[in-house]
Amino acid sequence: MTATQVQTSTMKPTNPWAKRNKARTRDVVIASLLPGILAVVFFFVGTALGATIDPAVLLIIGFLPAQLLAAFLVGRKYYGRHGREDALLIVVTIFLSTFVMVLLLSVLWSVISAGALALRPSFILQNSHYISGTTSLEYGGAGHAILGTVMAVAITTILTVPLGFGIAVYLTETGGKARGVIRTLIQAMSGLPSVVSGLFIYSILVLQGWQPSGFTGSLALLPLMLPTVSRVSEEALRLVPVDLRNGALALGSPTWQAFAKVVFPAARSGLLTAVLLGVARIVGETAPLVLTTTYNNDTNLNPFNGPMAMLPTFIFGYIRNMYDTSIQRGWGGCLVIMILVGVLFVGARVANRKKK
Amino acid sequence: MVETLLTESNAASHLEARGVHVWFGQRQVLQDVNLVFPSNQVTALIGPSGCGKSTFIRTLNRMHELIPGAGFAGQILLDGKDIYEDGTDAVDVRLRVGMVFQKPNPFPTMSIRENVLAGLRLTGKKNPNMDELVETSLRRASIWNEVKDRLNDPALSLSGGQQQRLCIARSLAMDPAVLLMDEPCSALDPGSTRRVEETIEELADQMTIVIVTHNMQQAQRVSHQTAFFLSEDGNPGGVVEFGTTEQVFNQPVDPRTNDYVNGHFG
Repeated sequence: MTATQVQTSTMKPTNPWAKRNKARTRDVVIASLLPGILAVVFFFVGTALGATIDPAVLLIIGFLPAQLLAAFLVGRKYYGRHGREDALLIVVTIFLSTFVMVLLLSVLWSVISAGALALRPSFILQNSHYISGTTSLEYGGAGHAILGTVMAVAITTILTVPLGFGIAVYLTETGGKARGVIRTLIQAMSGLPSVVSGLFIYSILVLQGWQPSGFTGSLALLPLMLPTVSRVSEEALRLVPVDLRNGALALGSPTWQAFAKVVFPAARSGLLTAVLLGVARIVGETAPLVLTTTYNNDTNLNPFNGPMAMLPTFIFGYIRNMYDTSIQRGWGGCLVIMILVGVLFVGARVANRKKK
Repeated sequence: MVETLLTESNAASHLEARGVHVWFGQRQVLQDVNLVFPSNQVTALIGPSGCGKSTFIRTLNRMHELIPGAGFAGQILLDGKDIYEDGTDAVDVRLRVGMVFQKPNPFPTMSIRENVLAGLRLTGKKNPNMDELVETSLRRASIWNEVKDRLNDPALSLSGGQQQRLCIARSLAMDPAVLLMDEPCSALDPGSTRRVEETIEELADQMTIVIVTHNMQQAQRVSHQTAFFLSEDGNPGGVVEFGTTEQVFNQPVDPRTNDYVNGHFG
């Protein structure tokens, strides 16, 4: 055995960068906890003494400045100038991300806790044919609305995806002269209020004698989905290295083949994201559907004939009723939309992974 | 033999650049380049970064025009016929003039085998002996022994040097008459570089090769003739000296060539 071998065998891996100084750990813990504890104590003592304290105001003008100051001081003490800037940034980041997380989770929790009351197998499997605003939750369900949403979203997707991909291909793969105009139009379109899209279809189709149906609803959703699909897929195509495109062209490949067989497969995952985001954009849209598919309590399997129930209009219809049971049906519908979107997203990702 | 594998066979071609000027937008980057690439000869293009070598080599198979704002004047004669002539399809030019890029760019969604056959698939050409073509192409790029047991693995599972040789094999499968190589070894270790150089020597029997390189030794090892490009003080680049490799490196006429090949600048 040589000396170096002995040395390496006795060496143990350490993380010198993770060494903790006890005093520093103590100060960091104090600086992290103290402002919060003080704020809580202040709140309860103040309330006990009869003052009215708004927790939100206390959070913004009491806790946050105190936390920033504490972090600033500890940061400066141990890391000098860059320490205090880092500390402020860390506190602001944690505060804001916690804020967003709390908002998100509370929305999620409201939907789950309120929707769970209505959710049961019959809620998924039955329609609302004999249901009035006060019928018990054991009877009837949103089955007809689930079918309606699935059909209408599927039709919109089938119509929009080729169009959106086409626009993305035009914007990334060609030197077309209208690219600037089209990009601007698409951007403007993404700011289109959904009710305007509904009114548009309402005025050019429904008022001209077309019956409100699943299909007119799909058409009203199309202008909402198109900008999302085309913009996200444009980004996905732009991410494909130009080297791959050139590699294919240098082999003597026609442009179209290079796109279809090299660029498109390389961007597949991003393009799938574009479709999913597009679906997520329209699946909960209510306003355009109220005008173009209206309401139906019965199952309608023909999207080209007569009003069709969809989950958003189902929710809207029941929540407008002031009875408890109908409002709970509305919450149940919200939960079903969320589950539907969740299943769709997970399913699409799994299918994409398996293909690879 | 490989030539019999493709329906249309290419013999090595004679390539000639006459009065080539190149612009990007309003900025001229190359001025009056005149070079001759005789068949079965290896020509090295050397010169400091930014002198227009890579730009020039891309004009030889019409990859240059893919860059937005690209401009071109002059003639590139492939066996006497101008490839920029009216009615000449860039796709047909690229079928005869293959190219290997600086960075290995195997197609990530394809296996090793599919990468070799990608050219056929992309151009819709048919070949009855796919397996034979894969083996021959990989052998010519001297990578067959390393990959013969894993042809269906993803191309990205190969090391950088192997990926580059796979890209060479991919070009060779199309049986080009001219092969352009834009610093093919700049991302490779010495072992892989040596194998690519051996490949170049063997290929010179069957095709005309133009190689851009920053490596003086490499230029001397692989090439028969050398062109020295230079762009001075923001002026458009041009050829300072062109001759046999022996002459350019050992008895350069221009003092700037002498300085460059001896490592005094650039």
